[in-house]
Amino acid sequence: MNRLPAGLYQPGDSVVHRLDAAAKLLCLLLLLAAVVNTAAPAGYGVWVLLLALLIRLARIPPRTALASAAGLGWFFLLILLMNLCFYAPEQAWVSVWIFRPSSAGLLQGLRVAARVFLLLVMSNVLMVSTPPLALTGAFERLLSPLRFIGVPTELAAMILSVAIQFIPTLLEETDGIRKAQTARGARFDSPNLWEKGKAVLPLLAPVFVAAFQRADELSLAMEARGYRADIRRGRKKYPPFRACDWLALSLCAAAAVIFIIIR
Amino acid sequence: MQTISTVKKAILTAVCIALCVVLPQAFHAIPNAGSIYLPMHIPVLLCGLICGWPFGLLCGLAGPLLSSLFTGMPPAAYLPPMAVECAAYGCVSGILTRFVRTKNTYADLYICLIGAMLSGRVIAGLARALIFAGGSYSMAAWATGYFVTGLPGIVIQLVLLPVIVSALMRAGLIPARYPEVRSDG
Repeated sequence: MNRLPAGLYQPGDSVVHRLDAAAKLLCLLLLLAAVVNTAAPAGYGVWVLLLALLIRLARIPPRTALASAAGLGWFFLLILLMNLCFYAPEQAWVSVWIFRPSSAGLLQGLRVAARVFLLLVMSNVLMVSTPPLALTGAFERLLSPLRFIGVPTELAAMILSVAIQFIPTLLEETDGIRKAQTARGARFDSPNLWEKGKAVLPLLAPVFVAAFQRADELSLAMEARGYRADIRRGRKKYPPFRACDWLALSLCAAAAVIFIIIR
Repeated sequence: MQTISTVKKAILTAVCIALCVVLPQAFHAIPNAGSIYLPMHIPVLLCGLICGWPFGLLCGLAGPLLSSLFTGMPPAAYLPPMAVECAAYGCVSGILTRFVRTKNTYADLYICLIGAMLSGRVIAGLARALIFAGGSYSMAAWATGYFVTGLPGIVIQLVLLPVIVSALMRAGLIPARYPEVRSDG
């Protein structure tokens, strides 16, 4: 709790930073499709090289780019063990109670762990290289066709933008409450999982009350300044994609098509 | 009866979405805490209960998405089934809150909560069986994943959500469901 989440924006002037946020979001979706459709182990080697190139182009320190995946060691281990022990019981090396480890299971575990790792790092590169407001604008732009079926996309984009801005504030608030609870004897750092769980629970009600107080203040301030959710606003003009945005989209689309075909 | 303005509902929804990112971080020191304590379900259910189904639905879709983008959990591969599950919680709790009226706030809360928790699990199970893991998803996996592993989370939600709603009502941050009628003189 005493650190900000991994994917917070870091200002920069790299090629990746300068791409349009909506184009980056579309590129991420195409890359996700390509990664999910990668089956051969050599394909993952290619992805690691491409990802290293992307991180270099974005001029993000590797430590920052890998931060979201680095804290999930337990999760990767769990995926690996579950697949190893249960994926292909008919090809098991040995059978111990319900556990039937096999080389096919090990391969599948490595494949799933590699996919999750790649998806995490790609999402992280997008988040670190895109300002939150640009990302909200991108969501609004990509969702804008839904206006024709009556979905209030502007309100949804406003909600997302406020939510993103609330995250660091609420993390700080939660950390403050956690420290107050620690001073009263809560054991967040206990090696005992039950103790840890018990310590976290009393944190929840004060966190909600504090968060709702902030929401109350903000909504009052917005209403006092005349903000109305039910007013139909003029249509927003989005800047067209530039050549570099189209190039990035074409490269990602080509990667998605190639990996889907050679699957 | 007092109602909440659309602007306030929108901001409360934004706060609940932000809590979908923040609360799992509070549990992050506990291995596999997400599937045991289900911290992301709490703000989604609360949003549906307080703001209604459209906002609950948005919270259920956007909460896991933002959490996945910011913290990597749930990983992108698990995001679609989780988003469907949370969207069902937010949507059903909002719909039930609109129609269930027993004249007792806590009875209403528990009916809406239990109804939303059960139907959300059924919808998520159907989505997994028919779409996300078509053909390889069994009844046993559904029962284990949604009821056995997450049992501590279910208990926490049943105990904590009415406490949180009551605390918010007492603090005047949300209107009482059945305001007391005062007779003067």
